[in-house]
This record gives sequence, C-alpha cells and structure tokens, in this order.
Amino acid sequence: MTALACARVRVLLEAYVDGDLALSDPSTAQAVRDHLVTCADCRRQHEQAVSLPFRMKALRSPGPPPSLIGSVMASIAPLPQTSRRAWALLIPEAVLGAFILWYLSGLEGLTAIASGAWSDLQGLAVWGSGSAPLPSIPVADVLLLGAFIALTAIAAYHLSVLSKLDSTPTPQLRESRRA
Amino acid sequence: MYAQAGAEAQAMTGTPDARAVAAGQLIRQATGGDLDAFEELVRRLQRRVYGFAYQHLRDLDEAYDLTQEIFVKLFRNLARYDAERPFEPWFWKLAANTTINYRRKRVPLPTDQSADTGIAGAASPPPAHDPVLVDALAQLDPAYRLPILLHYYADLPLEQVARSLNLTIPATKSRLHRARALLRNSLAESEEFDAQ
Repeated sequence: MTALACARVRVLLEAYVDGDLALSDPSTAQAVRDHLVTCADCRRQHEQAVSLPFRMKALRSPGPPPSLIGSVMASIAPLPQTSRRAWALLIPEAVLGAFILWYLSGLEGLTAIASGAWSDLQGLAVWGSGSAPLPSIPVADVLLLGAFIALTAIAAYHLSVLSKLDSTPTPQLRESRRA
Repeated sequence: MYAQAGAEAQAMTGTPDARAVAAGQLIRQATGGDLDAFEELVRRLQRRVYGFAYQHLRDLDEAYDLTQEIFVKLFRNLARYDAERPFEPWFWKLAANTTINYRRKRVPLPTDQSADTGIAGAASPPPAHDPVLVDALAQLDPAYRLPILLHYYADLPLEQVARSLNLTIPATKSRLHRARALLRNSLAESEEFDAQ
C-alpha cells in the first residue's frame, strides 16, 4: 500500500472522521490511519476534525429579544377593522360615481341636468307660493339627487376613516424592532 | 392525517409525546388561520431560528429582522404546507430560502461594527464562548455556512438539509465536508498564530 502525502490526507480527513471513507474505500482509510500514526501535524488536524462537529453543536447564541414575538404578530395581524372599512367604502363610491357619470354623459349631460334642476327648483318655488300645482319631477332626477347625497355622505365618512388611519400607521417589518 | 406533523413537532420541541401532539395540533390550527396557535408556534421555534439567523449574520439587528421575515413568510405560506409531509424540512427550506434572499437584498453596512450596535432588549451581543470558531464561521462563504448551520446548529439530519437546500444528499455531504475542512484550516491557522 502506498503512503499518502499530508495534503491528500487532509482532503480526506472529514470523510475519514465520519466513517464514509472506511465504507467507500477501506484501503485508503487504512492508509490515512497509518499516516496519522507517523505525522504529528496531520494528527493535530485530525483532532480538530474530530472535535469540530461537537464544537459546532455546542455553539451558543444570544436569546431572542422579548419584543420579537410581538413584532412578528404585529406584522402578520390582519388589517385593522377601520382599514378594511376604508377599502370597502370604495365599492359604493365607485358604483355611485359610475352611475352619476353615466347619467351626466359628459358636459352636455351636466348642463342639461343643471338646467333641469333649475327648472325643477323654479317649479317647486311656484308650487310653494300656491300659484301652481306640484310639478312632476322625473324619477331619474330624484335618483341622481339621492346618489349625490349618498356619495357626499360616504365620501365624508371615508375621509374621516382615512384620517384615523394616518394617525395609526400599520407596523413595518424593519421599523418595529426599534420600538 | 396530522400524525406526521405531530411527529415533527417532537423533533421541533424535543418534548415528550403529549406535548408533541399538542405541537402538531398547533401547526394544524395555525394552518387554519388561528393566530394564537401561530404565536405559540413562533414561541417554540424562535430560539432556534433567532440563533440560526444570528450565527449566519453575526449581527443582532439583522438577526432580528431575518427572524421576523422568516416567521412572516411562514405565516403567509402556511396554507401551502402539506400536513402529510414533515414540517421541519418544509419550514427550514423556507427559512433557508428566506435567508438566501435576505442576504441578496441586504445593504452592506458602512462599517463591520454592526454587531456592536444595540437593538430593543439587548444592548450588545454576549461574548462568544468559542470566539475562534465563531470568527472562522463568520469568514466562511454563505454557501458553506448555511448547510453547516442547518446540520449542526439547527440539528437537521443530512436528508433534511439536502431537501432544505434543494441539493442531493451526496452534494450536501460533500459541501459539509468542504465547509468543515475550511473551518478546520481556519482553526489550525488561528492556533498557530496564537502559539507564536
């Protein structure tokens, strides 16, 4: 059996220590064993190789800070109720806005509805003075007026919800550790 | 159905059977969106995950961020967890991927003194009880440090390390041998330097 050089032994040391070399190549494992008997430098390396896994397992780390769990839970917590409501309000707003836009049909529609509303108001004023019967107002105009009022009310509420959200920002991953 | 998760939980906690079954239920409940169960799961895993992150990054702040990111990713991916399969390899694969991506997007600090800066609850890291090994580990390429930490620090068997890193078992073993050889050389050099 040929003797092994130190460089070759050191490449094989981990496989030798784990017993893999003895299984895959018993004669080379024996050569490593023989080399270790005669070479003090390689013996020291072998001792390091043997102790290293134990030293690795014995490594200790600082314990996790007490704030860690709270930060994790804050990061994964579902969106606050107010925030969900803020997003949910977009749906009726979009529906009402779409209805109004559809009804107005652009600038012409806007002037038409303005003049229509003006004549309706005049009719109401005349009816109020008692000189004429109650004017007939188109159902679509009533619906439009209702939509305007609802949109204004929802938008105002939405603004109040959003202003509350601004003062309670959602937790940020990187910032929460410094809290 | 959750027998596998229960068995894994025993490895996760190192606790007796009754507690292991409870941990298996935790995984199941957390998968169903139970935040209390998830919090308990985090409580049980946090020491190993934070230790793993700290040994990998050698920085308390960064370890905190990475640990948090791993748990947030765990929560977001719980629905993908197959309870028929072992939890630990699945979790550590997620942790390893998160760690790899975290290092990629990590902005280098202006100085290498980041380990001395404090975070909430800890002013500075405690002195290492094996500083030579800790230094050698810090100098190791992350591609070698990760399997070493998963196998020896997180205590994952070779097969689970291989699965976590998407490697074959022979490739994982080869990487571990190479990593240990590099560490051994560093330790030997350090000892020679000290002896002079």
